[in-house]
Amino acid sequence: MLQRDKDTICAVSTPQGHGGISVIRVSGPRALDVSRALCRFLPKNPESHKAYFGTLTTKDQQVEIDEVLALPFLGSKSFTGEEVVEISCHGNPILVQWILKELVTSGARLAERGEFTYRAFMNGKLDLVQAESVLSMIESQTQQSAQQSLRQLKGGLSEVVENIENELTWCLAHLEASIDFSQEGIEIVSSDELKLRLSKIKTSVDDLMKSYTAGRILREGLQIALAGVPNVGKSSLLNSLMGEEKAIVTDVPGTTRDLVEGAFILGGVRVLLSDTAGLREAQDKVEKIGIQKSLLRQKEADYILFAFDVSREFSEEEAKILEAYPTDKVFLIGNKLDLIGGDTQKATQILKKSPSLSNFFSRIANPEQFFKERVFFVSTFDKKSVDSLRNALSKHVEMSQIEDQTLIMQTRHFENLVKVEALIRAARELVSQDSSAEFIALELKQALILIQEILGKRFDDQIMDRVFKEFCIGK
Amino acid sequence: MSLYDYDLIVVGAGHAGIEACLVGARLGLKTLMVTTNTDRIGYMSCNPSIGGLAKGHMVREIDVLGGEMGLAADATCIQFKRLNSRKGPAVRGSRVQSDKHKYSAFMKKALQNEKHLAVLQGEVKKVLLNGKTCEGVVLQDGSEIRSKAVVLTTGTFLNGVMHVGMTQTPGGRIGDQASHGLSDQLLEAGFEVKRLKTGTPARLHKDSIDWSKTIPQFGDDRFYPFSFKSPHAYQLDQIACYLSRTTEKTHEIIRNNLHLSPMYCGIIEGVGPRYCPSIEDKVVRFADRDSHQTFLEPEGLDSDLIYLQGISTSLPLEVQDQFLRTIPGLENVQVVRYGYAVEYDYFEPTQIWHRLETRPIQRLFLAGQINGTSGYEEAAAQGFVAGINAAHAILNRPEFVLNRDQAYIGVLIDDLVTKGTREPYRMFTSRAEHRLVLREDNTIDRLADLSIKIGLHGAEAVDLLNDLRQRRQDLHEKLQNTKIYPNAETQEKLLSLKTSPLLKSVSYEELLRRAEVDSQSLASLGFDIDLDPNVCEPVEIQVKYAGYIKKQNELIEQTRRLEGLILPDHISYSDIKGLSTEETEKLSRIRPRTLGQAQRISGVNPSAIQAIMIYLKSRRLAGEELPLGKQSK
Ligand SMILES: Cc1cc2nc3c(=O)[nH]c(=O)nc-3n(C[C@H](O)[C@H](O)[C@H](O)COP(=O)(O)OP(=O)(O)OC[C@H]3O[C@@H](n4cnc5c(N)ncnc54)[C@H](O)[C@@H]3O)c2cc1C
Ligand SMILES: Nc1nc2c(ncn2[C@@H]2O[C@H](COP(=O)(O)OP(=O)(O)O)[C@@H](O)[C@H]2O)c(=O)[nH]1
Repeated sequence: MLQRDKDTICAVSTPQGHGGISVIRVSGPRALDVSRALCRFLPKNPESHKAYFGTLTTKDQQVEIDEVLALPFLGSKSFTGEEVVEISCHGNPILVQWILKELVTSGARLAERGEFTYRAFMNGKLDLVQAESVLSMIESQTQQSAQQSLRQLKGGLSEVVENIENELTWCLAHLEASIDFSQEGIEIVSSDELKLRLSKIKTSVDDLMKSYTAGRILREGLQIALAGVPNVGKSSLLNSLMGEEKAIVTDVPGTTRDLVEGAFILGGVRVLLSDTAGLREAQDKVEKIGIQKSLLRQKEADYILFAFDVSREFSEEEAKILEAYPTDKVFLIGNKLDLIGGDTQKATQILKKSPSLSNFFSRIANPEQFFKERVFFVSTFDKKSVDSLRNALSKHVEMSQIEDQTLIMQTRHFENLVKVEALIRAARELVSQDSSAEFIALELKQALILIQEILGKRFDDQIMDRVFKEFCIGK
Repeated sequence: MSLYDYDLIVVGAGHAGIEACLVGARLGLKTLMVTTNTDRIGYMSCNPSIGGLAKGHMVREIDVLGGEMGLAADATCIQFKRLNSRKGPAVRGSRVQSDKHKYSAFMKKALQNEKHLAVLQGEVKKVLLNGKTCEGVVLQDGSEIRSKAVVLTTGTFLNGVMHVGMTQTPGGRIGDQASHGLSDQLLEAGFEVKRLKTGTPARLHKDSIDWSKTIPQFGDDRFYPFSFKSPHAYQLDQIACYLSRTTEKTHEIIRNNLHLSPMYCGIIEGVGPRYCPSIEDKVVRFADRDSHQTFLEPEGLDSDLIYLQGISTSLPLEVQDQFLRTIPGLENVQVVRYGYAVEYDYFEPTQIWHRLETRPIQRLFLAGQINGTSGYEEAAAQGFVAGINAAHAILNRPEFVLNRDQAYIGVLIDDLVTKGTREPYRMFTSRAEHRLVLREDNTIDRLADLSIKIGLHGAEAVDLLNDLRQRRQDLHEKLQNTKIYPNAETQEKLLSLKTSPLLKSVSYEELLRRAEVDSQSLASLGFDIDLDPNVCEPVEIQVKYAGYIKKQNELIEQTRRLEGLILPDHISYSDIKGLSTEETEKLSRIRPRTLGQAQRISGVNPSAIQAIMIYLKSRRLAGEELPLGKQSK
């Protein structure tokens, strides 16, 4: 909104989709600072209109996200008339979302629709003809924006957010009443009740943040677990997928004892790939711990890569393990293809006819499609076959994310929820310290405004109305 | 001989009327007050008290700006309490119980002391209209009095009807005639006129009460007068009030007689106040409560009458007698005046500008209960603002509008003209979104500059204001610039104050931030501190709550840009693309003066605000001259 005109904003300025290159635009008084937090290669005093090449990392510099071009426009010599940095990265939507998320972490805010044009307009960067054409565009968009944000909240979620709104309003109404009707000689709300309600609100906010898959994936990355009986080549797969040695490879069954994991970028998303200890009756303690851990991991995992050895019959034991996973998470990876001469056709036939797998396939609605999309044959000795597995997985990750068109809105919501969570925590702390109600109310009012922004509503007289509906007031 | 008999005419001698005509007269205008009853000037129609939460804030604001209410309340105070004294500084409120008759007498004298002011007993039947401009009033005998501006402060009197049980009597309040004619004329002139109602409790004879069954309630030892000009000592003897409670039996009687209560059987059309509900209301709405408290408040030092706070009613006399006797202490009570409700006309306040001038008719100002408010302080605040603006219009000076981040008075008026009201509007701290900076203690800091500019105070009061501000500033600077060092002596003293010893030298300001330390403790530590409560208290609050105040100021800063964007008077909302029909209708009717106000109109969405802003920008880009009205202060 308008009072936020001084914020530094960011957004993708190239059309959504799979272009080769995406341009992310950062504009506002802190554009350079914010960009430099991720693009460490940018000098302190860069030249205007000069492109700098380097690796963009997360704000904590733990992960390299992409190789990018950063192009600063200093002073008012930019499209918007304020300091601007344009970051060109690879044209993958997930990657772009991730970079945006990091920019937000570094102090930018996601731009509203048309906000760049709006700023350009406000700063006199457009002439009247240009201005009028963008104006009619903005007008038609702003008109819908409130309903839009509401619509973009998926059914169940908007209910949850509305609940949070109600709970906040309840707390505020009672706090206000405890101030304005303190002379009535009644306790309006106890601090224990208030604390309890605030904790509940906080839990809902926490849950909400978790429930945004996009939010979570952007935040935590995608979890992929490697499963399979010992010695089928899981550690080898992990290593070759990541391109570096992470797990120990031996010929003795059961030597991958500890959970070994590594992060890498797949389809623009940070992936946490975890190898698991061999799944079989464990003999020693260390291994047992490893197995338990891996079982846990597999439950949390978004995808399970179930590896088996194509040179051997698919065993009953393997089939039993497979039963435990939801079919929509499972990928079957037939390894050691080199041992049967690289014959994928043959491997497929064997698999389809495997008696121990018949039960598994019967659980799948469309086995043909499953074979096309979810079954892969590789040899970890053959770099090409691993590359094509990686590409296939990458496509899959992208596809599943792109279906989610509300990604930007959700990141915006997420941004608000993070603030709300902090405000609720502060409010709860104040209640514990027995602070006066008006200070607690200040925190909660801010939180309410943020929640109502998510719902596309305005802050109204709701609190007052609630106060008078619920309380007896004299003079 | 001038075309005009007077510069300014104020109709009504209630709390609004008094402030309005005093402002006019004090600014040198030849002013006339017309009222139906000169024996009831500044009469307290209901409760014998001034102030309270949020209301006390407004009394202090009126006082600093140069109004009379605070002085009158201080001089006639018979019990003082600082409410919410254990809560934060922004929500404390001063309340004075006044000797009702002395209060009226004080106000009458204040009027008599003004040499430019005349008071006339008479009923105004009409205003004189010349096209769309008001030029005076017409009295009941048909005589015309001409003036350059008129302020109407007729309270509960317009087409007033009093209800007791099924009995209805025309009247503005007990002992006063209703006033007919004015609202009919204005209705015809195109004003929207609606009905409201309000009630008052019975007055009891003090000798008929068994006081032993009640709990005495005393006032505070320390007096914080409303006015910066008043002495810090009580001027009259202080009395106690007495607490009692309704019983199950009381509620039963009331429930059984609801059909005889005019508001429950549909006789009264007007909406009643949610904030001072009648006892009938309370019993119905809060059915789960088996008791409501009531304070028995003497109406004055020499008065035999006791006001029964919280028990306003319009039930028939015999029912009142019956249920009152079920309240402990009132078993044999003698009622001197029964409770009643009054139903009256008010003007939907979205028809007035912030300066309280009506939109349809120039030079006609409305203030007080006529605008749908309830309460003396709300009335006085509006009377004051209407008075200044009427005077400024006559004197050709800029309008006087207080912002929401400047004063409760600003919140009050902005709420009224932006949202209108469908029930009697009463002020609350929760209505002020910038409450943490609108405190009683910093009223002078907020408003002294404005006040001096208005020019209602004499030189002595101005010196006093400047002196207080200077001393506050000096003290604050001294606290910042003086350090306390950790030596054996100070450490020991700190321990005796139950606060932890120093690790290194700190400023006294730093030390004062500690919860256990106050101004008094600083004095005991050898800091030479100005202990005048009007100096050390506000500074202490400013220091202790600096963090919250800063936060609030940041929020204010966020809203300022919109508040600063003045909307031209002639803006045509139907030309703006992107507004819904409802938004266009509301904006055209309410005609907000700033974009910030537009945003507060319910039903106007954020997208509309953006659309308006874009429209304005593009007009200016197209070279259209937009008078971005100067915001007068
Ligand atoms: C029965 C009753 C119950 C109330 N209950 C409450 C309550 O519970 N809480 C609360 O906050 N407030 C209550 N009040 C309201 C409170 O008294 C008013 O809010 C406040 O007094 C309004 O001030 P005012 O200046 O607007 O009008 P008033 O104090 O009503 O003064 C109006 C003045 O106008 C004069 N006048 C009217 N018509 C004409 C005319 N045509 N010509 C000349 N003079 C005229 C009258 O003589 C009077 O002097 C109650 C009032 C009444 C009567
Ligand atoms: N022939 C062949 N051997 C492989 C292949 N991948 C892994 N191996 C071997 O299989 C054995 C077990 O591998 P490992 O990764 O430790 O299996 P894990 O127990 O499933 O983790 C090692 O000796 C590997 O060298 C493959 O693609 N082809």
